Amino acid sequence: MKRALITGITGQDGSFLAEWLLEKGYRVFGLARRESWYRPNSASHLAGRIEVLFGDMSEGVDIASAIQDAKPDEIYNLASQSRPGESWARAPETLQVNGLGAIRLFEAVRHNCPACRVYHASSSEMFGQAAVSPQNEQTPFNPVNPYAAAKVYAHQMAKIYRESYGLYIATGILFNHESERRPLHFLTQKVAYGAACAALGISDSLDINEMGRPIVQHGKLALGNLEIARDWGYARDFVRAMWLMLQQESAGDFVIGTGELHTLRDLCEIAYRCVDKDWRESVLSDPALVRPLESGQTLADASKARKQLEWRPTVSFEEMVKKMVSEQMVRLKNVTNHLN
Amino acid sequence: MKGKQLKKALITGVTGQDGAYLAELLLEKGYEVHGIKRRTSLFNTDRIDHLYQDPHETGRRFILHHGDLTDSSSLIRIIQQVQPDEIYNLAAQSHVAVSFEEPEYTANSDALGALRLLEAIRILGLEKKTRFYQASTSELYGLVQEIPQKETTPFYPRSPYAVAKLYAYWITVNYREAYGIYACNGILFNHESPNRGETFVTRKITRALARIKLGLQDCLFLGNLDSKRDWGHAKDYVEMQWLMLQQETPEDFVIATGVQYSVRDFVNAAAKELGISIRWEGLGVDEKGYDANNNCIIAVDPRYFRPAEVETLLGDPSKAKQKLGWTPRTTFGELVTEMVREDLKAAERDELVKKHGYKTMDYRE
Repeated sequence: MKRALITGITGQDGSFLAEWLLEKGYRVFGLARRESWYRPNSASHLAGRIEVLFGDMSEGVDIASAIQDAKPDEIYNLASQSRPGESWARAPETLQVNGLGAIRLFEAVRHNCPACRVYHASSSEMFGQAAVSPQNEQTPFNPVNPYAAAKVYAHQMAKIYRESYGLYIATGILFNHESERRPLHFLTQKVAYGAACAALGISDSLDINEMGRPIVQHGKLALGNLEIARDWGYARDFVRAMWLMLQQESAGDFVIGTGELHTLRDLCEIAYRCVDKDWRESVLSDPALVRPLESGQTLADASKARKQLEWRPTVSFEEMVKKMVSEQMVRLKNVTNHLN
Repeated sequence: MKGKQLKKALITGVTGQDGAYLAELLLEKGYEVHGIKRRTSLFNTDRIDHLYQDPHETGRRFILHHGDLTDSSSLIRIIQQVQPDEIYNLAAQSHVAVSFEEPEYTANSDALGALRLLEAIRILGLEKKTRFYQASTSELYGLVQEIPQKETTPFYPRSPYAVAKLYAYWITVNYREAYGIYACNGILFNHESPNRGETFVTRKITRALARIKLGLQDCLFLGNLDSKRDWGHAKDYVEMQWLMLQQETPEDFVIATGVQYSVRDFVNAAAKELGISIRWEGLGVDEKGYDANNNCIIAVDPRYFRPAEVETLLGDPSKAKQKLGWTPRTTFGELVTEMVREDLKAAERDELVKKHGYKTMDYRE
C-alpha cells in the first residue's frame, strides 16, 4: 500500500486530494495545525479515513517528525498562507510558511527520505504582471505581492533541490481553482454566497468579510476591482494533475489551468443568473478591497500538462459556479433553519 | 542654534567589506552613521576599528547598535530610535556555498531580513522619510539567460543564497510600487578588496599565494578554475550605493565593470604580482599549477565545487553610467595588486612572529 503525506490537509485542495488518493488505495496522512483540524474544515468528513499528524510549517522539527511517522512514498506540499490580498498585511508570516516552510520540507526529504516523491504547490500568482499571455512553464516571473514573491522563492528552491540533489520534486503552477469547499473569504465563494443571499432575501449576512463587515450588507455584496480577469478552474480536476505529476519518469514543472479567461463581472453575472437575479442590483465595487498592487491578467497555457500528463479539465466554469451557488444555498438554509 | 541637521544613515552589515567602505564614505560626506552588528563570541570589528569612536566621546558620528536581521523587534527598536534618512541593507549570509548547508538561516537573514526592514519602515510611518537600499547580487542571474546581463535580463538563481536574494529583490520592488517607499536594488557584480572575507575566492587566492611565497603554506586548493566573473573594487561600488539613493526617483541598477576574467586568470595575475611563475598541467579535477621548482602550489579540490555551478557572470553597467554618471575607477590589475600587497604584508607579519617563536593565527575554513 502506497503512503502519502499531505501538508495543508484541512484546505480545499488537501481534502479533494485526500479523497482522490483514498480512492486509489493510498494510506493517507495529513499534516495540520491543531487549531485548524479541531475546527470544522474541508477534510472534517474524512476523519477516521485519514491519519492526522499535528504540526506547523514554521517549525522544521514538526515537518521532520511528520515525515518520520508517515514514512511517505509521496508528499504533497499544499500548506500555505493562501490569500494573496491578505499577504500585504501578513508578509513575514507568508514568507515563513510559504517560502521557508517549503525548504524545511525539502531539507527533511533530502536527509530522511531522498527517494520520496514530492509535489510542491506553486501558483500562477508568480507571473503577476506577466509580459506575455498566455503563460507557460518558460514565462519569466514577475510577482506583485508578498504571497507571489514567497511562492517564487519556494518554486526556485524546488528547482535547486531537484537539480542539485536529484530529488524528485515536481511543481504545479496552478491557476485559480475553486470549488464549493473554498472558505468564504475567497473571491469566488464570496460571489456564490452573495448570490445565495440574494436568492434567500438575506440583506445582512451573518458571515463577515476581511474588513470585519458582513459579506452582504444592506443587500449589497462588496467586492474589489470588477474588471480583473482570471483563469478559474475546478479544484477537483486540479488535484488529479498533482497526482499525475508524481507518476512520471522524472520530475518537472507543470502549468495547470483551463486556458479560459473570465472577468469578475462574468462571474457575478453567472452566479446571480443561477438564482434568477440581476447582479447589478446587488454588487458594488469597494475601493478598500482593491489590492495595493493588482496582478495582471493571467491565462494558462497548459499544453505541456495536456500532452505529457494527458490532463484535461472536466468541469466547465458555468457548472462550477452553479455548484458553488447551490451549495451556499443549502448551507444558508440550514443555518437559517437552525436559528429559527 | 544648529544649522542643517546631519543626515542619518543606518547600515546593516556594517562589519562587512561593503559596510566598512560605505561607513567611511558616508562619514566623509558628513553623515551621522549608525551600524547594526550581531553579538558574536569573537570580535569581528576589524574592518571598522579605524572608525570606532568611544561612547564617552561627545559629538559621535559613528554609532554601533546590537541587532540582528533575524530579530524583528531589534530592527524596529533601532530604526525607531535612529529615524534614519537612509537605510543600506548590506547584511546577509553572503556565502553561496554555505547557503547549501544552511538554506533556512540564509532565507531568514537574506529574504525575511530585508522584508523585516521594509515592514519596519512601513509600521513606523517612515515611508516618505526613509530611503532604502537593498544589496542585490549578480548571483540572481545564475544560469545566465543573456550575455552580458543588464537590468532587464530574466533571473535564473542557482543557489539558496541567490533565491533568498531574489525574494528580497522582488519584495523591495513590491514595497516601492505599493507603498511609494523610495527603495532601490543595486544588482552588484562581484566586488572585492583587501577587506574581502578570507573564504571568498579572490581573497583566498591572494592570501594563499602570499603565504606560499613566504613558505608559510604549501598548496592552494580551489574549486572551479573556469568560473568567469566580473570583478570590481568594493570601494568604487559603495559610492554607487550612495548615489542610487540621491536620485529623484528610485530605480534598480546593475553595477559592474563590463570585463570578465576566469578564476585561473585571477590566480595568474596574483602570482605574477608576487613574482611566482605558474605552469599549468592536467585537465578538470586533475589540473595542477607548478612553480619554477616544480612544487605543486595549486590543485583542484572538488569539495569546493558548488552543487550547481554559476559558470559565467558579466554585467552591462550602461544604465548606471548613463543615469548615475558612474564608472568604476579601479582596473582588474590594480585590484589584484592592492589585494596581493595587503596580504603580503600580513604574511610577512606572520613570518616575523613565527621566526621569534610566537604562535600565529591560522584562519581556516
